[in-house]
Amino acid sequence: MNNNSAKAGFIRILVTMLLSLGIGALFIVGIGENPIDAYVALFKGAFNGKLRLGTTLAGFTPLLLSSVAFAVAAKAGAFNVGLEGQIFLGGIAAAYIGINWTFLPKPILFVACFAGAAVVGAIWGFIPAALKAYYNVSEVCTTILMNTVALYITSYLVSGPMSAGTANAQSHPVTVTLHQFMKPSSANLGIVIAIILVLLVIFMLYKTTWGYKIRTVGTNPDHADFVGINSKKVFIGSMMLSGALCGIAGCIEVLGVHGYFLNNFATGLGSNGMLAALIVKNNVVATPFMAFFLAVLKAGAMGMQQSTGVPKALVDTITAVFIIIATMETLIQFKEKAKKKAETEKKEG
Amino acid sequence: MGAIIENLDKIINVSLIYATFRSATPIIFAALCAAITQQANILNVGTEGIMLVGAFTAVAVSYFTGSWVVGVAAAMLAGVLIAMIIGIGHIKYGADNCAIGMGVNMLALAITKFLLNVVFGMNGSFSSPEIDPIPRVKLEFLSEVPILGEIFCNWSIAEWFVIILIIALQFLFYKTVWGLRLRAVGQFPEAAKTAGINVNKIKYQAVAFAGMIGGLAGAHLSLGYSTQFVENMTSNRGFMGVAAMYFGGANPVFTSLGCLLFGFADSVGARLQAYGIPSQFVLMMPYIVTIAVLSVSMAVKLSANKKRQSSLN
Repeated sequence: MNNNSAKAGFIRILVTMLLSLGIGALFIVGIGENPIDAYVALFKGAFNGKLRLGTTLAGFTPLLLSSVAFAVAAKAGAFNVGLEGQIFLGGIAAAYIGINWTFLPKPILFVACFAGAAVVGAIWGFIPAALKAYYNVSEVCTTILMNTVALYITSYLVSGPMSAGTANAQSHPVTVTLHQFMKPSSANLGIVIAIILVLLVIFMLYKTTWGYKIRTVGTNPDHADFVGINSKKVFIGSMMLSGALCGIAGCIEVLGVHGYFLNNFATGLGSNGMLAALIVKNNVVATPFMAFFLAVLKAGAMGMQQSTGVPKALVDTITAVFIIIATMETLIQFKEKAKKKAETEKKEG
Repeated sequence: MGAIIENLDKIINVSLIYATFRSATPIIFAALCAAITQQANILNVGTEGIMLVGAFTAVAVSYFTGSWVVGVAAAMLAGVLIAMIIGIGHIKYGADNCAIGMGVNMLALAITKFLLNVVFGMNGSFSSPEIDPIPRVKLEFLSEVPILGEIFCNWSIAEWFVIILIIALQFLFYKTVWGLRLRAVGQFPEAAKTAGINVNKIKYQAVAFAGMIGGLAGAHLSLGYSTQFVENMTSNRGFMGVAAMYFGGANPVFTSLGCLLFGFADSVGARLQAYGIPSQFVLMMPYIVTIAVLSVSMAVKLSANKKRQSSLN
């Protein structure tokens, strides 16, 4: 990507961001509140004080992994909506290993938790990928339905065989945990692991043959096959990598945030990760920043709901508007004409 | 397991036929919504969102006006509005189908949650005796007939309507000029353009029509299937509809048959719950059946295609 188009892309995202915040402001005015107060409360809710900043960072960690996971699959042409299911199953695998494999020494147990989560996540990514590659079954359909299946599998496990017997469906505590460095918030060392993994993925995508293969398959699978890349295998591989990253996100949530498997813990994590990646058109370098922005919105939403009368569902509305505007490729084109068109569009919408 | 075999006659009996159809109806509506745009080669990932907005609008309008007819009409209108976001985004501004579809789904989820908070001051769900549901058709003359009475005598109006809709769409797609144009636009857009068909106009019409049906799907879910609105009450039925659409190749009759399979899994599951099967397994059954049926049908289609091609050579 040359410098000029990167700059244009950046401005485009910025305009989109302002536009969706503007539409959000209209909603806030609509329910009789002051949008500036609400946004200030939102910002404060995300950054003001150790607890809030820590909560934002803790929320950022899984989003970072799931958004990059989505982008990696997308680079090979897959639309992996199954992030959430992969997070759930990765989490339950980590919980199972962390609770039961106590015969292992702690450092190895750590690695085992992460490896187990990654493997289970990868398997959950493999199924829809293979169905798509060999039988042309829409991965959008299968992954989203598999999310529900994964949710029920884990929900069965933590309310049945793995239940701690508490009122809330949850597992016993795991025997290894990630250090929380900003108590009382649940920000933990998982964020370091996530950042390292993301850097590795970016390196892999742009500096290795494997990454080249993935990008080639995503751009033109026929060409890939022609030059001797097995496009099906690469497609499946990238979905498995995507699943593994999500599995690790689940592992970090269990070992770092909760310390046990909490039923339903990942609801919304997958879709927000997908949003972050979609908004920046699966640009892996820009994705982490977008994930951070969404994490701030999410974390601040609670503060906004508490100190003003604006329900936190508004933030989801803003992010959804954000993604809808961002997907319209030709909407914002840095020309006066296009801008006018965009404005009439906005009025209609 | 033993209990299930002993009580097999209580699980599989005549009333299962209506139970299957009842669970399938919302999915059939959703699948038809997806089939209409698919004929114009637009994958309608936003079916779920269109349905959810329809469900909310139907309940809200029916509650405030006290009339299910107005509620359903409003839901269809809301469906069209939401569908037009997809239409304009995709057709005019080149948005990726999947991306904008998922965006619309999230918008629907968020905005219905937001409005539930703001309009009704509720979290999670809203129900009230003042919501006017879609009435049921009681066929008195059939109620005495042994088997037919049990199957047909107490259908909701929307359930009768879905049968008419399937037939009407089948006719519309394959026997009318508009249907021919729609399929031409979907399969050979260049040829359609050469033949003087306004491709984008047909696409917009298809999206708007699909929005109507999607809104109706939601209205049936919240005013017919149940009488309440629950956050995310569509629970992926829209995607099951899309899966059924793939299964049936966007043909209304075959698509609906696929939906019946999912409805069957759902209603058998509900009955098994009484015999000690954990609820989570019961709840995940329709999803697994959907994935399995979709995969098998796509695999069969692929091998049939290969065979046809090899016999040509």
